[in-house]
Amino acid sequence: MAPTESKRNQLLTRLRNFYECLGYTRFSMRRFEEYGLYLENKSFLKSENVLTFTNPDGKLMALKPDVTLSIVKHARNERAGLERVYYQESVYSYSSVNREVTEIEQMGVEAMGDVDGYVVSEVVRLALESLRAIGLPCVLDISHMGFTAGLLDSAGLSSEQQETALKLIRRKNAHELEAYLTGQQIATKFAQRIVQMTQLAGPFDQVFPAAQKLSANKQTATALDELKALYDTLDGTAEALRLDLSMLNELDYYNGIVFQGYVQGAPRAVLSGGRYDLLMRRFGKAADGIGFAVYLDELSRTLSDRRALDADVLVLYQSGDDQKALHRAVFGLAAQDLRVITRKGEKPEELKAGKILRFENGALKEVR
Amino acid sequence: MFTVALPKGRLENKVCELFSACGFDCGGVQADDRRLVSFDQGGGVRYLHVKPSDVAIYVERGAVDVGVCGKDILLEGENDVYELMDLGFGKCRMCVAAPVGFREDFTSPLRVATKFPGIAKAYYAGKSREIDIIKLNGSIELAPILGLSDVIVDLVETGTTLKQNDLEIVETVLPVSARLIANKASMKFKTADIKRLTDALGQKGETV
Repeated sequence: MAPTESKRNQLLTRLRNFYECLGYTRFSMRRFEEYGLYLENKSFLKSENVLTFTNPDGKLMALKPDVTLSIVKHARNERAGLERVYYQESVYSYSSVNREVTEIEQMGVEAMGDVDGYVVSEVVRLALESLRAIGLPCVLDISHMGFTAGLLDSAGLSSEQQETALKLIRRKNAHELEAYLTGQQIATKFAQRIVQMTQLAGPFDQVFPAAQKLSANKQTATALDELKALYDTLDGTAEALRLDLSMLNELDYYNGIVFQGYVQGAPRAVLSGGRYDLLMRRFGKAADGIGFAVYLDELSRTLSDRRALDADVLVLYQSGDDQKALHRAVFGLAAQDLRVITRKGEKPEELKAGKILRFENGALKEVR
Repeated sequence: MFTVALPKGRLENKVCELFSACGFDCGGVQADDRRLVSFDQGGGVRYLHVKPSDVAIYVERGAVDVGVCGKDILLEGENDVYELMDLGFGKCRMCVAAPVGFREDFTSPLRVATKFPGIAKAYYAGKSREIDIIKLNGSIELAPILGLSDVIVDLVETGTTLKQNDLEIVETVLPVSARLIANKASMKFKTADIKRLTDALGQKGETV
């Protein structure tokens, strides 16, 4: 048994190589940004609890709670071409439940510029492959914000009504959604369509025809066309792809394809992303953007390296033993890719080793 | 293995009855049974009997696939789960109650005793009313009697407890009933199991 690099690091290396191979370059940044950046875009963040401090100039700064905002802020303001970056950065948040500051490592990919159908398929494929690299059964749910927005628009919902409806759709809460829309005097024909949206989840082939039946206007039709084109492009490489039209990101930032990844054994989404042209506009950028982040903290349990043994070999020695011979013996074992621990005296009760060797008269002897 | 969290106490009998009627035999409720885990041998389902306020946490964290709990728990915990069905029983109301004849003093913050600080906060924030929350874990009705609080925000089923303590309902915050909730990842990986359950519960619900 060889001492292995932690599963987590293996995954990170694999992902980095993979992103590099497709022309993405590493983007590094400072640990903090001006707090104003996050204040203006609070609803973009996964958690609203941002850690702040005042710098010597009296400016309120924040430890980065998110990477995408920083990348978008620093992105070049050009529509032509495409800027491909990936990052591996720590982000910080405050957990109100644990009353504790947490540092989370995040990895992600962003493509900004002229985002066409091919680029969308490239980024979604990267997301799929990132999930697959985790090595567990996985699912990538895809959806399209244009479909939702179009459907809600066609029903004539106000922005306040939309917000409530979105919240209920995300929870697949059909019963309350129906009651709410009826209470808001939304025509039954439109209300029914919106309610049905919560049930549109499953294998692409099965769900897509049902989604087509709900299509209400040009916006929803365009959204479905994009989804179909993406699915056709990825066909054959994407058993893990599912359609889930109840899965939504923030309407203020995301406009096109959005997606979320799950792996068996992790209770929450481990990957999330989508097309965020609207976010780019908020920063005054002419370019479009699409990207995703992998939440390594959600994977910590599934990527656990808990091992049954503390070491492959335990070497026991006595004071007065030949130090040079012991040194050589131990490094000899380590050179064979074995995990070695040395102890002076007897074997400690709690230590579990595959093999116990005693160093006697300049040689190693196995202890039974 | 498909795992279901069931709430102990108030809802337990009703939930077990409904599940059994739908072909999900969770063993029923025996008074002296202290086991926290039971099995449905035929269906390969495991049932966990947990404190109602913990059900949503079990589901959110993926310790179980689905669970049954009151809407009050979901609103208070703001857990990230799918809320699949309103089971239509365990009906009661989240109410503001005060001593009979209570007149609110709008010149000072309202003192609110409750087990549900999140719901109370959101409710009064919606009315732009400043409040002072007193979080208690039981016998909430005592608080206004002793002058510890002006009003209480609590679940009211029949209103008997309120009446016996000279309290009355002032406002209804929202109606509450039992909900079927599911873990987000389970919804992707145990789709068939969850569908079997919701279909059965749905059919049963229509005939009730």
